[in-house]
Amino acid sequence: MIPQLVTVGWRRRDGRWFRLYIPVLPVVLVLSPLLLLAVLGGLIACVIFKVSMVGALSGVGRLVWALPGTRFEIAEGRMGVLVSVR
Amino acid sequence: MNEQRRQVLEMLAAGKITAEEAERLIDALGRDQLQTSPGTGSGAKSRPRYLRVMVVADEDPAGEGSSRINVRVPLQLLRAGVRLTSLVPPQALSRANAELHRSGVNIDLTQLKPQHLDELIEHLDELTVDIDSAEAKVQVFCE
Repeated sequence: MIPQLVTVGWRRRDGRWFRLYIPVLPVVLVLSPLLLLAVLGGLIACVIFKVSMVGALSGVGRLVWALPGTRFEIAEGRMGVLVSVR
Repeated sequence: MNEQRRQVLEMLAAGKITAEEAERLIDALGRDQLQTSPGTGSGAKSRPRYLRVMVVADEDPAGEGSSRINVRVPLQLLRAGVRLTSLVPPQALSRANAELHRSGVNIDLTQLKPQHLDELIEHLDELTVDIDSAEAKVQVFCE
């Protein structure tokens, strides 16, 4: 399953959490022209460094597919950062 | 499961893996089968899906408050990352080897096969690290 929602949060100095909910699919659609360029750049890099393009694409796809469920939460004193992928 | 065994045998026939590696992979598949076949019952323990790292440190002397780290990584993500290592070009590995050797670390990265790392991740579910000191508590486990 591809990631659907990425939550990025940080705790402000006053101790309150600020959370940003990013819906992945709409953001990917909006940024698709840039993503296309990035993919093209990646494929060119594969050719230059003699890396299998199919292998690289499937590897990155597998990595993205496995992202849901990832969660990083670091808090120190009054500061804190949270990244969660669902 | 038979399909996976066939793939291992095909890799062996193609000369991509050695007989020893094929034997180890087939053994791992057999273990997998033993673990999953009784899993159909309701009382069976399900396989862990996440690697969890938790660190809780008490208030530091500077008075900055306590620190807390809570990381949850899907084991599938680790497996996918390991597969990506097979894409690293051999010339990059030999350059990394040379740099490691120059720094006094005698590790041959070309000998590190994705199958070995795969096997390592396969057995991560049995890993539990529990450190409980006066200043901090560290826990690494699979859930």
